[in-house]
Amino acid sequence: MGRILIVDDTLFMRTLLKNILFSGGHDIVGEAGDGDEAIAKYRELKPDLVTMDIVMPKVNGIDALKEIRAINPGARVVMCTAVGEEQMVKLAIKTGAKGYIVKPFQAPKVLEEIHNVLSS
Amino acid sequence: MSDLDAYRSLYIAESRENHEIIVKNLLVLETEASETAIAEIFRAAHSLKGMSASMDFWGMERLCHAMEDVFQEIRNGKLAVSRELMDSLLIASDQIEAMLDDIECGGTGVPQNLDELEHELKRWIGKEKAGETPGPVSPAAERGATPPDDKTTQGPSGAPRYSISVQLKESCDSPNLRAMIILQNLEEVGTIEKVTPDRSTVEDGDFGHRFEVEIASDAGIDALRTIAAATDVLSATVTSVESATPPPPPAPEIRPADGRDRKPVTQPEKAERSREVKNIRVDISRLDSMMNLVEDLVINRGRITEIAREHQIKELDETLNMIGRSVSDLQAMMMDIRMIPLSHIFNRFPRTVRDIANREGKEVEFIVEGGDTELDRSIMDGLNDPLLHLIRNAIDHGIERPDVREAAGKPRKGTLLLSARRDRDNVIITVEDDGQGIDIESVRKKAVEKGLVTPDEARTLSRDEIIDFLFQPGFSTAVEITDISGRGVGLDVVRTTLESLHGKIKVESREGGGTTFELLLPPTMAIVNVMMVRINGQRCAIPIHNVAEVAGLVPGDIHTIGGRETILLRDEVMPLDRLDDMFGCSPATEILVVLQDQNRKRTIAVDEIEGQQEVVIKPLSKVVGTVRGISGVTIPGDGEVVPVLDVTSLIKET
Repeated sequence: MGRILIVDDTLFMRTLLKNILFSGGHDIVGEAGDGDEAIAKYRELKPDLVTMDIVMPKVNGIDALKEIRAINPGARVVMCTAVGEEQMVKLAIKTGAKGYIVKPFQAPKVLEEIHNVLSS
Repeated sequence: MSDLDAYRSLYIAESRENHEIIVKNLLVLETEASETAIAEIFRAAHSLKGMSASMDFWGMERLCHAMEDVFQEIRNGKLAVSRELMDSLLIASDQIEAMLDDIECGGTGVPQNLDELEHELKRWIGKEKAGETPGPVSPAAERGATPPDDKTTQGPSGAPRYSISVQLKESCDSPNLRAMIILQNLEEVGTIEKVTPDRSTVEDGDFGHRFEVEIASDAGIDALRTIAAATDVLSATVTSVESATPPPPPAPEIRPADGRDRKPVTQPEKAERSREVKNIRVDISRLDSMMNLVEDLVINRGRITEIAREHQIKELDETLNMIGRSVSDLQAMMMDIRMIPLSHIFNRFPRTVRDIANREGKEVEFIVEGGDTELDRSIMDGLNDPLLHLIRNAIDHGIERPDVREAAGKPRKGTLLLSARRDRDNVIITVEDDGQGIDIESVRKKAVEKGLVTPDEARTLSRDEIIDFLFQPGFSTAVEITDISGRGVGLDVVRTTLESLHGKIKVESREGGGTTFELLLPPTMAIVNVMMVRINGQRCAIPIHNVAEVAGLVPGDIHTIGGRETILLRDEVMPLDRLDDMFGCSPATEILVVLQDQNRKRTIAVDEIEGQQEVVIKPLSKVVGTVRGISGVTIPGDGEVVPVLDVTSLIKET
């Protein structure tokens, strides 16, 4: 079970994901609503894993991922993707994303991916 | 769906925010090609789409997806912003609002014309793109950016070689992405020598659900198995392959730097754990019930204070003082929580102004000021319609057509100013236009035509009195009835609504120079300032905003006209009421209180005035029902139940 930082610009998505992860026994150590906040929270909280939305205000998920990987090259970042974001996810994977979960979230799939990335 | 219902209100609240962002930025986009606005709309549509998909509101998801696509095109410079495109987008955004309304009421938000709406948006995507190479990023360009497929250039590795075969599940959402992650992870622990089918084919997703990798790695077979057995993997086999050439002596460390991180990251100390949720959303009904509890607390605090005074217990008095302070703070804080900035409703108006101006062929510069002024939520709720009406009126009847304005030596573009500010006790909202102003003579004529006054009376009426006719039910001066202003809801409704909010409306008009409507509102309705009086020995509270003045009752000033008592006060004749039927005949009335509502006045005779007090007014219990002349009760400190006069209904009776 891991300490997770949830990054998404909507409270709705964060809440949804938080409840899924919580039900899987994970600890939600923090939430961030944009890339800037995500980077700051990553530094501060040093979570085991970050779930990262891609389209966000200010700094987007890809740039935040780059920055987080610069802070910790071993950072585990799982991208939250939606239909039509394949190109961006490809870029994220090449930037070092360790996994992806697809919106709309399905709890078993999300938990499986988080578990796999945490135990890798 | 039922467990998703728990998220419905959160979904609605946040979706409305996103909808507002879309509308606001669409209007920005109409005036300037702002990249920020485009990015904001794209993001808002994207968020809305994602949330809707999660809630299974597929209609909303589809519409937002289409909108997002359009903005993707705009963002990529493939589609130019035009008036027609704006109209399509605004129609779509209106539909989003309607769909949210439906969802809020428990529906699924799927409009009957969804296909049509979606098609309308998609039409724009096909349009400009025709003839161009499809797709924002061509697969070839994408491949060019990736490192070469085989890493043999790095030289033969001495590490053991393995062959890995991965079969993905059919249910895997994006097999190519999954494969990319597995390859990426494998790359971190070794050197990939071959991928079948080749890597670019895998990345493009043209590989069925199966691919094979040959890798040289020191990570060990178990580590490779763990990586290969990722999410969405049906089966993964890792087999050791004999090297064709005997491996050279093992290099000291050939793993990439990242390799060390394959071990679980050590947990930082728990002390760092902090949950930083700074904002929460609370249902307004819960705030209302909390407010009720605070009100009860205020009332009971007053009662205990009285009891303590009676029994003169020093310790209790001191403790009560402390409690008193806490309760006051709590009350102030509760009031504060309920306050929302007016921008909440102001933000909707630029869109309305644009639409009405377009339809009416008028040019309007709409200026909004003071949107950060705060107002109690309960008042805010009732304010939207009156403001909307005044704004419609201003564009419809106030601001002239551009040619008319030019002929009158005015700028073609009219100015409409909506502003709010906080006065000492009031929030003042003004709606001001620089249009033609109110035509007093035409109002006067119409009042006579409608039989509201005789021609003789009409001639003697002052300007203000004439303007007051505009607030009469069914009074409209518009020559032609438009679908906007002429829908039977007139200024009378505006005034009535404002009064129900304990507010007032004032009009000032300069012929040819425009009209200003000024709305005076209390910042909150929960606590009312009242004047405590006694009539026939009984206490009664009168809201201060209904008290015009207090004067001594001189018996000589009382005259009986038409069978009823009237009083002459500074050249003004007003009906006098003793409220005998409510409180019984009082032998000791010495004071005159002048009540006012709108512009009408009436006086009542009271025994004494106890003072002014801030109280919480509670509505009458359902058992009691409605009582003529009483709007509710309040319980001041001594615990006595005191009726509150309903001045509006009292004055209407006369």
